[in-house]
Amino acid sequence: MSRLSFLLMIAVMASALYLVRTQYESRSLTTEIDRATSLARNLETENDRLDVERRAQATPLRVEKLAREQLHMRTITPAITQYATVPGGVAASVPAEVRP
Amino acid sequence: MSSRSVQYTSSPLLASKTPIWRSQFIVAVIAAGFLGLVARAAYVQVIDNAFFKRQGTVRFVRTLDLPANRGRILDRHGNILASSVPVPSIWANPEDIERDPAKLKALAKLLGMNPAELDKKLQDEDKTFVWLKRQVDDSVAKEIAALKIKGVYDRKEYKRIYPEGESVAHVVGFTNVENLGQEGVELTFNKALGGKAGSRRVIKDRLGRVVEDIGEMVPPVDGEDLQLSIDSKVQYFAYEKIKEAVLTNKAAAGSVVVLDVKTGEILALTNYPSYSPGKRGNLSGAQLRNRALTDTFEPGSTMKPIVVGLALEKGLVTPESTIQIGNGKFKVGTATITDEHAHGLLTINQVIQKSSNIGASKLALQMQPHDMWEVFTQVGLGQKPQVPFPGAVSGKLRAYKTWRPIEQATMSYGYGLSASLFQLAQAYTVFAHDGEVVPVSLVKTNQSVMNGARVFSSQNAAAMRNMLHLVTIQGGTAPKAQTMGYAVGGKTGTAHKVEGKGYASKKYRGFFVGIAPIDNPRIVVAVMVDEPTNGAYFGGDVAAPVFSQTVQQTLRMMGVQPDMAVKPQVVTKVEKESF
Repeated sequence: MSRLSFLLMIAVMASALYLVRTQYESRSLTTEIDRATSLARNLETENDRLDVERRAQATPLRVEKLAREQLHMRTITPAITQYATVPGGVAASVPAEVRP
Repeated sequence: MSSRSVQYTSSPLLASKTPIWRSQFIVAVIAAGFLGLVARAAYVQVIDNAFFKRQGTVRFVRTLDLPANRGRILDRHGNILASSVPVPSIWANPEDIERDPAKLKALAKLLGMNPAELDKKLQDEDKTFVWLKRQVDDSVAKEIAALKIKGVYDRKEYKRIYPEGESVAHVVGFTNVENLGQEGVELTFNKALGGKAGSRRVIKDRLGRVVEDIGEMVPPVDGEDLQLSIDSKVQYFAYEKIKEAVLTNKAAAGSVVVLDVKTGEILALTNYPSYSPGKRGNLSGAQLRNRALTDTFEPGSTMKPIVVGLALEKGLVTPESTIQIGNGKFKVGTATITDEHAHGLLTINQVIQKSSNIGASKLALQMQPHDMWEVFTQVGLGQKPQVPFPGAVSGKLRAYKTWRPIEQATMSYGYGLSASLFQLAQAYTVFAHDGEVVPVSLVKTNQSVMNGARVFSSQNAAAMRNMLHLVTIQGGTAPKAQTMGYAVGGKTGTAHKVEGKGYASKKYRGFFVGIAPIDNPRIVVAVMVDEPTNGAYFGGDVAAPVFSQTVQQTLRMMGVQPDMAVKPQVVTKVEKESF
């Protein structure tokens, strides 16, 4: 009888230790997840920030300034434009809605 | 056994009699100790359990706010007009800040304030939190961190960035430091853009790491991105041109509105003077005002086409009918209406082309006030435009029952009622959209054609477009509105500014509302220049050139092919290759 009790006690102890270990692991995993999520969020905001910066480099104001001053370009007019009509007649009058 | 043997049982030490009560006493004390523990355990776990639980929770459970990202504002092509980026804000804990004068001096310098100011902020030692400066540059935050002052921290906050700057300032508006919209669409769409912050309850360990989630997390709902109908290139160009016009004419201000005729979308809406939404120190009301929507004025001659359109619609006249202008003076009751020139006999086409007040008045006097009022209302006068802007005004259009004949006559050439530039632009869609007034939209519609409310027949709208075209060719009032490659049409307007109770003698407002290309309209452009003081002040001189340039660039960007022959100036020739 006492041997059985002893065995059960060992089992209880083992289980308790295992529980502690699992709890510990679960907590460290949660920490990891949390760290990863905040990293993801940081990267996302970083991405947003870079998007804005890229846009700031490509605003019409800056593009026009650079085109005029550095590349010596001028605004085009119909007089210096050659219009080509694509067979099938689609492309010519379709606005160029191109995402940057 | 020798006599030296010792009888241990009778050792004098052991032999000492211990009173039995002593051991009993020890047992009792230990028992009492255990009892005490049991009682305490019962107290903690049963009797006052709630209190202790709460105390435990306070020590390791934290509620974390999960801030929602504010949505971005985009133009019609997806370019960013406004976006939030995280920036550091500096705060301090006055209770335990390290008060090292040298370090605090360096800190004050980095924060751009004088040491006395900083001291004042840190004065109250009972406080545990005080903002030193919000939204500082990354580099500044790093330098502050390098000072390693105990009790000074930074925290990430979101700041709104407006890459396009001044040109779209009035449309986009701005937010305050708490990320709440204050002006423009930032204000109108604040709720949708703002999203909803979430929260989660967690257990934190000694090192401040999250180790466990408790209960359910409320995820943050990020604000929605808002795509406007604005085309940032058209907007920029219009802004540059109106700025140029305001400066060369030494004017007080100017505005441009560009509408897509087919969809009613606002492609550009810009005013000068403007401001940088990112840097808002020393802003004046004049800079902040979205004049195209908030300033009303008497629309002057730009009203004539609407009256003539109604006359055609009612069958009173045809474009070729004639009307006697006489010597340029026309009496209505006791008042006299005058024209600049004595034109004699004019066709209806010429009434518009030459902008004859008498012609318009004579037509108006043949109509019922109710009919005029109805058309004015249908094209949007006297009504608040359906655009999501704070401060858009309705202008003034009095009830037709109160009109006297002279008022009916003056209204036909745009006096006695008022409208904003935006309302005029929308009103002109009636000619451009084949007789229908298109509902305007500031948000991208993704539709190729919008249907509007019919006011004129499409035939009459075409006749009116022809008249508007005549205005811009030789013999009209606005040849400066012509643009290379495209046939355009429009109407000039020049109005005395109202000051106090009467008209200011030398203050004018010149404007032009036009359509391009006139045969197959794609855009309506309205331009207004306020108080030009450099000699020219007629709409045909100050506003029409801006119209011309804006139309030229806008149509090119929209990919509209020129409908007029242009003398090519292409200088390079392709040489034949030789071997």
